[in-house]
Amino acid sequence: MATARPGWSRRAQYGLFFSFLAVIAGIIVGLVLLVVSLVAPDEFGRLRGAALDVTGPVASALHEVTETAHGLVTGADDYWDAVSQNGELKRERKAMLRRMVEAKAIYQENLQLKAALQLRQQTHDAIAAGRIVGSSFNSPRRFAIFSAGGRDGVRVGMPVRSPDGLVGRIIDVGELASRILLVSDRTSIVPARLLRNGIPVIAQGNGDGTVEVRPLEVGRNPFRPGDLIISSGTGGLYPPLVPVARVARLKGDEAIAIPLADPATTSFAIVEPPFEPTAMAAEGQSSTTAP
Amino acid sequence: MVRAALSPQKRFGHGPSRYALFVPAMTVVAASLLAALPIISTSGWFPDFGYLVLISWRLLRADPWPAWWAAPLGLVNDLFTGYPVGFSIALWSATMLVLDLIDRRTMWRDYWIEWMVATVLIALDEWLQWRVARLSGADIPFTMMLPQLLISICAFPLSAWVVSRVDRWRLGR
Repeated sequence: MATARPGWSRRAQYGLFFSFLAVIAGIIVGLVLLVVSLVAPDEFGRLRGAALDVTGPVASALHEVTETAHGLVTGADDYWDAVSQNGELKRERKAMLRRMVEAKAIYQENLQLKAALQLRQQTHDAIAAGRIVGSSFNSPRRFAIFSAGGRDGVRVGMPVRSPDGLVGRIIDVGELASRILLVSDRTSIVPARLLRNGIPVIAQGNGDGTVEVRPLEVGRNPFRPGDLIISSGTGGLYPPLVPVARVARLKGDEAIAIPLADPATTSFAIVEPPFEPTAMAAEGQSSTTAP
Repeated sequence: MVRAALSPQKRFGHGPSRYALFVPAMTVVAASLLAALPIISTSGWFPDFGYLVLISWRLLRADPWPAWWAAPLGLVNDLFTGYPVGFSIALWSATMLVLDLIDRRTMWRDYWIEWMVATVLIALDEWLQWRVARLSGADIPFTMMLPQLLISICAFPLSAWVVSRVDRWRLGR
């Protein structure tokens, strides 16, 4: 289609015309699919899952390589300033031991109180464990590729956490891999509270790796830099008492926090069943957040 | 390239690659597959590799592939990068059309004009991504898209260079 007429050949002219029509058809099909995937995000779940099955294992394999290289580099780095690190670790350990004794006492007390109240402890076993092996590069959304999929029992909507804290929740599932909506995505909203005083807050992603935390009640800004935010379990999707983020700085009535589970350095993450299974069913029916 | 034909050393049995017709499309798919790289980005400042390679090819030649191939290539990109399905299909097809129109209008072109066209297209791509993200509930300010927009624009010459090398290789020059 470089020039208006490719010459006197009828065949070439028709070919040009039909390729023009084909491109127009491509645009229309694309727009229709885009509208469908915005209105009904689950429509292409299977297709996206199949694509994940192609990329997931590749990413997993490459991840091993980069992790080894990264480990070598940081290993050498640690060796370099071993002395100062050693002193720091010793100090930290002493402080930790004191805290641990306190925590043990509190745990005992908690058990007694629970026994007195006859509360039943809800325990959830992990459904699957895996690695975060990739992420969205370019889009304003924050997704990550997770190395466990439907074969391991992972389903859409399940929360993902690492030892450090909450990572996000599953939005696409393939057989071998799945896609996580990270807590730093703009559409991710985690009901949470301040660890220091239990004030209920909402943690919404900013899309750039940070999280915006807002108090539910209007009033004085309750945050201080360094505050820990833990999930509250409200809504039933995320389990309670999972660390979510640490406040970095204040901004008006809100605060900007950094997720504790950094997907870039998280080695293992586990998928848990939703805290309240009914919440996931409701989520499945009216999922407007997933793409 | 006439120069290549004039060069004295003739290597026998050295012609276009057997898959020369499909190499451009394959490189676009490979660029989309870069999304499988185990890089975990918390800010999303990487360029849209698939689109960069697509416009690099299309700016280099008018016929890297039949124009309608843009739609299936876009579908592959959507599936691998996690964009909403249909986004790249529509955008890539429209890009082919727009570049055809630009080809008709421009009297001459040089490197700077190509970079400018690519800049406009990349900016359009980022802006549309931002709009679509807003539609699906992620209303972030557009200023957050600026770093990746700049990085993509700066990455275009690199992608254009790689594509021109691949083009020479596939044509056996």
